[in-house]
Amino acid sequence: MIRFDKVTKTYPGQKRAALDAVDLEIEKGEFVFLVGASGSGKSTFLRLILREARPTSGRVYVAGKEINKLSSWKVPKLRRQVGTVFQDFRLLPNKTVTENVAFALEVIGRPRADIKKLVPETLEMVGLEGKGHRMPDELSGGEQQRVAVARAFVNRPMILIADEPTGNLDPATSVGIMKLLDRINRTDTTVIMATHDSSIVDQMRKRVIELEGGLIVRDEARGIYGYQN
Amino acid sequence: MRSTLSELRQSLSRNKSMSISLIVTMTVSLLLAALGLLILAQSDRTEKYLGDRLQLQVNLCTKNSPSANCIGGFATKAQQAAVEEALRGNSQVESFEERTPAEQYEAARVKFGQSETGRKQLETFSPASFPSSYFVTLVDPQKYDSVESELNGMDGVGSVISLKETLGPLFTALDKLRDGALAISGLLVVAAILQVSNTIRMTAYARRREIGIMRLVGASSWHIQLPFVLESLLAALISAALAAAGLMAFMRFVVYGYLRQTLDTFTTWVAYGDAVQVIGYTTVLAVLLAMLPTLLLTRKYLDV
Repeated sequence: MIRFDKVTKTYPGQKRAALDAVDLEIEKGEFVFLVGASGSGKSTFLRLILREARPTSGRVYVAGKEINKLSSWKVPKLRRQVGTVFQDFRLLPNKTVTENVAFALEVIGRPRADIKKLVPETLEMVGLEGKGHRMPDELSGGEQQRVAVARAFVNRPMILIADEPTGNLDPATSVGIMKLLDRINRTDTTVIMATHDSSIVDQMRKRVIELEGGLIVRDEARGIYGYQN
Repeated sequence: MRSTLSELRQSLSRNKSMSISLIVTMTVSLLLAALGLLILAQSDRTEKYLGDRLQLQVNLCTKNSPSANCIGGFATKAQQAAVEEALRGNSQVESFEERTPAEQYEAARVKFGQSETGRKQLETFSPASFPSSYFVTLVDPQKYDSVESELNGMDGVGSVISLKETLGPLFTALDKLRDGALAISGLLVVAAILQVSNTIRMTAYARRREIGIMRLVGASSWHIQLPFVLESLLAALISAALAAAGLMAFMRFVVYGYLRQTLDTFTTWVAYGDAVQVIGYTTVLAVLLAMLPTLLLTRKYLDV
């Protein structure tokens, strides 16, 4: 599903590579934790998958396509196959929960009938049935993150990227979000989650990839957090 | 499309004051450009009317010419040939063109037809009231004296009119007005472009969250740009329409209401048809003015 082939990324004006000759393969339907200190290259890794950045050398393949060769007008198509969730939720404050989720479908031109069907279905799946008319600021942090997950998943992407999705949440709420991501993973969606939350990684026992200074220092099939802050 | 229109509505209400100032600047700039183009059309019309350039008009004798050269009434063929010979032989003459009485009558009909009093005067004329004339283009338009004095003394020549002398100041003034209008319009065009780019920058900033999410979920570049493009296009079309209304008011009150009535003997003045053509140009200009910076800058600010 995702393959990194000797990928190096050096940002302009930086001497040290953010990612250094990374070789990696992630299969369809896998759940992968990406761990490591701030500045270890986790965000760069995720940005490369979304083609928000291009590798300095090497190749990145997503869903069988070498995405650094993708012409820029095809990038939106790639991003429709990759859902994204962030630590800060990034909801639109002036739209209701339903409108926030529907927005993701409207802007890619999905027909109204699809939107009417998919949005309530997805809200129910993330446990927000009956809250569609609320505004984001009327929701708890955990609920806001559920809206963000619903928005990322409503288009049924093949890959879901979560960049510290529990970073702003208390442990109990975090467990709820992890259950949700696990459920999405069971629909054969590949989930890649960057996190600093050791208890979650230790509980889930999924594949763990640890980055340090742009290098992969550990890649375990059923790993634990292991990285010390 | 629905989401694009709602974005457009939101953006217009958010940028109300920016949009209004953009529309005002663009309208004034387009109106000045339109006036410049109208004066240009007027010059073309005058040149067509008077011959290539505002130079010498040599009128041959008619039955009633008061000139001492016209004792025999109508200029004879021999006199006409002599005049042509003199024109050909004068080194100051670059070229000349004959206008028959019928052509002169037709030109007068158009000119006098502009006003009510003119139309009444016209009833007293017939082609026979007009002389055969030569419209002479000089090598150096300033040096008309030698040609004028040579021809003035010839038999069969009723009068020599230096058009440069009589109409020159008016058209010099018009030319200056045109240059002034186009220059100020040019400055305002620059201001309008800067305002378009400011509006885009501000809107992009105000909508950075939406735009970020749109990019993330895979909205096409075109979909992200469209509200910006529509907003600029709308401002351009409103400005073009206001400028068109202004130009039509100018035509109605200044050209038809004054110039055609009081200064109808100078030349034929521009008509509504010319104004419509000018409006076509300014509308295209308005769309280009708004679209070019929008397309360039949305690429830059939206990072699409």
